[in-house]
Amino acid sequence: MRTSIPAFDTTELAPPAEGEIQAVHEAAWRQLLRHRSAVAGLVVLAVYALAALLGPVVFHQYNPAHQDLNAVLLPPSPHHLLGTDNYGRDELLDLVYGSRYTLSLGLLAVVIGVGVGVPLGAASGYFGGWADLLIQRLTDIMLAFPNIVLALALVAALGPGLKNVVIAVGVSSIPNFIRLVRSEALKVRQLPYVEAARALGVPSARILLRHLIPNVLAPVIVLATLQMGLAILVAAGLGFFGLGVQPPTPEWGELLGEGHNYIFRDANLVTFPGLCIFFAVLAFNLVGDGLRDVLDPRLRT
Amino acid sequence: MLTYVVRRLLVAIPTLWGVATGVFIMARLLPGDPARVIAGVLATPEQVEHIRHQLGLDQPLYVQYLDFIGRLLRLDLGVSAHFGSPVAAEIASRIPYTVALAVTAIAIAVILGVSAGIGAAIRRNTPLDLVISALSVFGISMPVYWLGLMLIVLFAIQVHWLPAAGADSPTSIILPAFTLAVFSVGLIARITRGSMLEVLNQDYIRTARAKGAPFRRVVLKHALRNALLPIITTIGLQFGSLLGGAVLTESVFSWPGVGRLLLDSIFFRDYPMVQGLVLLFAVTYIAINLLTDLLYAYVDPRIRYD
Amino acid sequence: MKRRLLTCLTAAGLLLAACGQATSAPSGGAPKQGQTLTVAIGIDPDTLDPMRQTTTTVQNIVQMVVQTLVQVNQQGKIEPLLATKWEQSADGLTWTFTLRQGVKFTDGEAFDAQAVQTNMSRVLDPSNTCPLCGIMPKAVKSVEPVDANHVRFTLSEPLASDLFLGLLSEVTFGFLAPQTIQKGTPGYQDQEQPVGTGPYVYSERVKGDHVTLTRNDHYWGKEPAYKQQVFKVVPEAASRETLVRSGQAQVILSPPAADIPALQHESDLKVLLAPDDRTIFIALNTTDKQQPLLQKPEVRQALNYAVDKNAIIKSTLFGAADPMTGPMAPSLFGYCQQPAYQYDPNKAKQMLQQAGAAGMTLKLISPTGRYTQDFQAAQDIANNLRAVGVNVQGPQTMDWPTYLATINVPPANATVDAHLLGWAPGYLDASQQMTIFDGSQIPKKGLNTSYYDNPQVNALLQKAATETNRQARAQEYCQAEKMVWNDAPWIFLWVQRFPIVYSAKVKGVSYVPNESFNTVYAQPA
Repeated sequence: MRTSIPAFDTTELAPPAEGEIQAVHEAAWRQLLRHRSAVAGLVVLAVYALAALLGPVVFHQYNPAHQDLNAVLLPPSPHHLLGTDNYGRDELLDLVYGSRYTLSLGLLAVVIGVGVGVPLGAASGYFGGWADLLIQRLTDIMLAFPNIVLALALVAALGPGLKNVVIAVGVSSIPNFIRLVRSEALKVRQLPYVEAARALGVPSARILLRHLIPNVLAPVIVLATLQMGLAILVAAGLGFFGLGVQPPTPEWGELLGEGHNYIFRDANLVTFPGLCIFFAVLAFNLVGDGLRDVLDPRLRT
Repeated sequence: MLTYVVRRLLVAIPTLWGVATGVFIMARLLPGDPARVIAGVLATPEQVEHIRHQLGLDQPLYVQYLDFIGRLLRLDLGVSAHFGSPVAAEIASRIPYTVALAVTAIAIAVILGVSAGIGAAIRRNTPLDLVISALSVFGISMPVYWLGLMLIVLFAIQVHWLPAAGADSPTSIILPAFTLAVFSVGLIARITRGSMLEVLNQDYIRTARAKGAPFRRVVLKHALRNALLPIITTIGLQFGSLLGGAVLTESVFSWPGVGRLLLDSIFFRDYPMVQGLVLLFAVTYIAINLLTDLLYAYVDPRIRYD
Repeated sequence: MKRRLLTCLTAAGLLLAACGQATSAPSGGAPKQGQTLTVAIGIDPDTLDPMRQTTTTVQNIVQMVVQTLVQVNQQGKIEPLLATKWEQSADGLTWTFTLRQGVKFTDGEAFDAQAVQTNMSRVLDPSNTCPLCGIMPKAVKSVEPVDANHVRFTLSEPLASDLFLGLLSEVTFGFLAPQTIQKGTPGYQDQEQPVGTGPYVYSERVKGDHVTLTRNDHYWGKEPAYKQQVFKVVPEAASRETLVRSGQAQVILSPPAADIPALQHESDLKVLLAPDDRTIFIALNTTDKQQPLLQKPEVRQALNYAVDKNAIIKSTLFGAADPMTGPMAPSLFGYCQQPAYQYDPNKAKQMLQQAGAAGMTLKLISPTGRYTQDFQAAQDIANNLRAVGVNVQGPQTMDWPTYLATINVPPANATVDAHLLGWAPGYLDASQQMTIFDGSQIPKKGLNTSYYDNPQVNALLQKAATETNRQARAQEYCQAEKMVWNDAPWIFLWVQRFPIVYSAKVKGVSYVPNESFNTVYAQPA
């Protein structure tokens, strides 16, 4: 599923100075901390991050890859607060460990989307001409594939597993970044001071770095935040077909995908990974919305 | 107007050619031998070879490609490797299911989303607004198939109210359509709320209210009409992503639509079927984008295309 | 169906309730006595043409419509169906079948020797697609009517009777009404609406959703109880279970394995863990270059001792399998029991040490969702192997076509050391199972994916294929099996069971031990 891309208007901005950017960032951060739902999102993410960082330290005696045939599908007990899964793994500890994999999956996928999408979008919008035409058609073509289908085809070709899921999900998010950055680049190109710089023969690379990047930073951060949630959802979708992250890596999509075979036997195995995913995506959406409100006050509702 | 439509349609041609080429390449990049998949593990190598020949897979790639494009120009999508019947007929028999599902879901999404959005906007900063805003962000954060499974557990297993799978009873559509709608409900509610708020703050609305026009009428006649533009865009965009959501939803609910057919076809390496379906998705995507743009012009006469 | 949907469609979600009232749901609610039996299956049939089909699910459905000369019964024995008796010539080259008299196809045509010939020439035509024809096109020289009720098959070489009759019992060689498959018509190559002689008649199909059969009121044999049987396509195992629990289906195949114990305790449901002939095993690359240790039989035996089959069957397959006691299922003709590789990790460790294989690495792959709990079991096996010091890489999984492409390669291109696979002969004879130990069947020629090549075994298999003396043939297979068992080209795992769950309101659901369910004579209890 795609989120609609917010429109940003940067035409009125003057070329920002270094110090100004710094100040804007600090102000934005302060504003974000006053944004109630964004703070709620940040709290959830902080809890997850804490689990990801500290969980494996606190429960260091637990090995998530450890499987115990004599302890499969146990009901909740003081020993295993959420019971055990079909491999005899402790469901709760798996979820704790899983935050590490799921969060990094979302993060890395977006790194791919940004890393490929931003330069392509910038080139497409700024240079125009053949490059633009080519990149635009490529974007259209990619958008014609529903992203779960694109991701699935990529995973079928590359094979399942954490690394390939990151690639597949990341690649399927590229067109969204291209579109966003392209429209920004088109506008930047027409800014009077940019036209002047071009006329003076300032190299394109420098114009892009100095003028385009600062202008697209805000919308890209917003989109990236929202896309992290989406990446986690797509990865979970792959898990449904058994082609997502593979056990014993306790990624939440993997836990959910495995769990759905045991939905009658132990609904916990479906409910809790699903809730973890839901709250992660929710948090990214809340923070993304907050960022949008803060970074582009025009769109505040 | 007409020239605009024609121009848009002409631009669509290279895109479709690109999609066709892209899906052709994608299909061939998938590892696996379609002939072996069709023949099964017990078949002899001769039979596998025979099937490969029948599917034309023993031809060089460029011949396969030219053949595919040539057929496409004659609007012939070829024969499904898995079913052995024409791709077009196969797809045509599944389309009604997906359209029924998507249209129902969109209808649910529009009705719930727009009314919730209006409600939130006119009761801004009240508990109602808070609840609606919260629910709508919940909606867009929900893993589709998890929601589907949860609904099955609740409504099909616990209380036996609704069927869990299939499309043979008229009530079958309720759970999958609702599952599919949830994401869009959230999104449409958010957009509606946002654009309604913007419009409600405009001078002419204030004027209308000051003149004593009933609030209800102001909202529905003046405000909604003017807030419609972003809502339409969202709905248009949603229709495309809805087709994507249909892939998962149809699988969870064993719904015999094109989404599930596409997934199955990838797993069967049914190249012609994958090609046909992806082209169908692309055409739908392009057509809906165009329709959305045209609707714009209708709703907002200031927009002109020439 | 389509029209109803379209009506609903125009009304969109707004008038859902109205659509609801417009129709009566045949499969919802309680079934009337003998009205409709709904069976939830996991696979959407690719084809209903007996010649083209490749899956047991399709075979099961088509068998209710299309019949063969002979059939396999619940005990796995061949018995008469459309042929009442048969005779083999002394040289083994000609077979004469006496056809059942008075049998008619449901389009009114007579089933006679001519019909047999018409069908056989269609199936054996090399320009037609017949994936499961096997050796038949090569083995059969001609099929000729002797008179209306007798037909003669002439073979190019003698074939063992269990092999030949076994093949003829497969629905691949079932009989369609001659009018519907005339040469030159589309039906000759592909007949999706089969017209046969069976107890049921094909009536409707909505692809991706269901196939409906109605009772053949002029059936030559015993009349079935249900007027209609609907085979509903539900790929999700959990959804199938929902259907039988909520009464939307009366019979389902393969519920989620984990739920079998709970289902067995439900008073209104019955669980049939039908014997099956599908063996599940880990094929080891016996000519492995990356891991030459696997070339040693002792190492492969050690791996067999290292895997706790019983524990995995109990906790991961939830009892839906039996440990292998020979390289094939016991229901096959030619099976003979071998001494078990009892789980003994210490012995395994010791053997590995002696063979210089302590700490050996092993790259393992497994399909997912293809066989009962396949990938889960592979995980357990990997853990068992790690426990005896094998450095297992994996198990990795991939989708089925990729998987097939990975294992179906000549030895020189092999990329993995071990892979999990299942193998289910279509008829209950050792021959089809043993081909995967045949040195002439190494990929790409066949699916001997462990690349096992033992000249003695090859010779025995060749001899057994044409052996007309049953006793001697059984002996030959037994000898070959013993060698295979000792050489251990596989980690021998288990013979799957085929779980069928049905409502206690239904009785008479039965099976044939080749992954077949049989609901023909199901009836309301």
